[in-house]
Amino acid sequence: MIKKVLIANRGEIAVRVMRSCREMGIISVAVFSEADRTSLHVRYADEAYFIGPSPSNESYLLIDKIIDAAKKSGACAVHPGYGFLSENAEFSKRCKKEGIIFIGPSADVISVMGDKITARQTMISSGVPVVPGTKENITSEKKLLSVVKEIGLPVMIKASAGGGGKGMRLVKNEKDIISSLRAAKSEAKAAFGNDDVYIEKYIESPHHIEFQILGDTHGNVIHLCERECSVQRRHQKVVEETPSPLMTPELREKMGKDAVGAAKAVKYVGAGTIEFLVDDKLNYYFLEMNTRLQVEHPITERVIGIDLVKEQINIANGKKLSRKQNDIHQNGHAFECRIYAEDPENNFMPSPGLIKHIREPLGLGVRTDGYVYEGYNIPLFYDPLISKLIVWAKTREESIARMKRALHEYKITGVKTSIKFLNKIFETPDFVKGKYNTHFIQNNEDFLLSGDDCDQVCRDMAIIVAYIDYLNKIDKNNIEHASVNKNEKWKNYGRRKGLQRL
Amino acid sequence: MSLEINVDDQAVKLELLKKDGNALKVRVDDVDYIFDLVMVEHGVYSIIFKGKSYNVELVEAGHSKKYIVNTYKKSYEVEVIDAEAKYMKNRKKSLLEGSENSIISPMPGKVVKIPVVIGEEIKRGQTVIIVSAMKMENEYKSTVDGIVKQILVKEGDTVDGDQPLVMLE
Repeated sequence: MIKKVLIANRGEIAVRVMRSCREMGIISVAVFSEADRTSLHVRYADEAYFIGPSPSNESYLLIDKIIDAAKKSGACAVHPGYGFLSENAEFSKRCKKEGIIFIGPSADVISVMGDKITARQTMISSGVPVVPGTKENITSEKKLLSVVKEIGLPVMIKASAGGGGKGMRLVKNEKDIISSLRAAKSEAKAAFGNDDVYIEKYIESPHHIEFQILGDTHGNVIHLCERECSVQRRHQKVVEETPSPLMTPELREKMGKDAVGAAKAVKYVGAGTIEFLVDDKLNYYFLEMNTRLQVEHPITERVIGIDLVKEQINIANGKKLSRKQNDIHQNGHAFECRIYAEDPENNFMPSPGLIKHIREPLGLGVRTDGYVYEGYNIPLFYDPLISKLIVWAKTREESIARMKRALHEYKITGVKTSIKFLNKIFETPDFVKGKYNTHFIQNNEDFLLSGDDCDQVCRDMAIIVAYIDYLNKIDKNNIEHASVNKNEKWKNYGRRKGLQRL
Repeated sequence: MSLEINVDDQAVKLELLKKDGNALKVRVDDVDYIFDLVMVEHGVYSIIFKGKSYNVELVEAGHSKKYIVNTYKKSYEVEVIDAEAKYMKNRKKSLLEGSENSIISPMPGKVVKIPVVIGEEIKRGQTVIIVSAMKMENEYKSTVDGIVKQILVKEGDTVDGDQPLVMLE
């Protein structure tokens, strides 16, 4: 039985894992870099070990340092959180070798699912749909035409060496196929010195929907329904919800079955997530698998009524899953907002710095998973995620209202945050109607970034406060000056005496 | 005492007319406001005006006369222009004219790379310095054609917000 867990992470996720450890009577061990001596996970943990300089490649990413801390502390298991070493096959292998339980899948599973091409092949052979296309180089125009015929228009021609949209062509009409191929090839050649291109079906208005799965060491795998993660900016998720407004019970059952099948195909053990792209016609395609806890796992916890970290630990202890697929039901509706230290008005530039004041929302149906506190200096070395705000209510409509209420209560000063931007998302008509896909932020950019207007009175109140604060400061200064100047007092005394004499 | 205040680059005149405990009377340009104001937490003020409750947060921006003021819906940049500020402003203007071509870090971070050297001729839009913060790299580009006059930081240095990094000519 696991009695002591080292959490090889920092920030909100380290604190979140430790909370479950505490409830289970498990001793938690933190590791920290130079910049993180004052971080909340170090304060929250029962034990803490220093592992090196602030940059993560000199501390949190060094397997040797983590293993060393685990041995020193006598921790029998390591929880990797997300990011850092969580999907590092080498780390999982090393833990096993050192006799430490890695709370996550084996090295083999991580390598198979971590590589996009092998993951794709595994999915194809276990009958899970993938985005149609080829990964090999298209050499002849004849071959291109036959592939296009097979997968159907529209298609995307992409440079193998590509990136940044170069050598990429969207083909919608048959007559453009050949000319697009030539253009893509010459562009790829010019940009990367390599004209290899491959072809993929273009998914119009895609939704990013993922399924949470759990597998134990006895071969049982269940899914915990979906999470809708289509609100993204530069491929970074911003808001997640469950259930997905796009989902139907039939589709959920089908996708759930495929997600379980995919996990069974690799004999998956632990908590994992299968990501899919879904189009408006409800066709879905495997995208990738994440072999770890996801940032957005709390919405599933709330709607299913489960603690995923506890489940992970129970699975690592070799226990059987406590629930069967039939026991899994969604109750109500949950949203998560990611609060980042960044400035939406300034191209989302990161905003590290001192938290001067913070008040987190409370009240019915609200959860915050965060790690900052008043007087804490957010370091510039790590992710800008400050906290996650999760709300739950019986219906989607009520849940939206609750999220807006919670965002209204959330006060952080000192650093710029995405709170106002998030509130705008919950006011955008497409979002409120549940009609959105991964182009949502792009399509609604003007509305999302338009500042709310304050009326004249509201503006004047803002100026008045600054004015009064300034006057108070001057008053304070004057008082201090007066008391410092002792001669002044004697002078006053003399004057008063003089006056009395008159 | 009447004072000039800049709000989002617009000048407004304020005057405290009366103060009795929390009850204040303030004139903003030519509108008089009578309200109740209390500082409820450090940097957070509560105002009750005509029965309406306003919460306003103040964050000092750099120095004691410059504030970021957050109302729920909007945030304002507010600067108190007293005699000293007026003087400094005039001085700064002439200073700024001389150093218009400096690259200043808008946020704290770490210098990743300086792809230019002193004396190098650079074009408008050319990257002069790369600073990383929170796993993101930001390239700062020159807004003018010119020559690199001075490099004030080294690769690997940690920099503050508003710190001059590279001077151009």
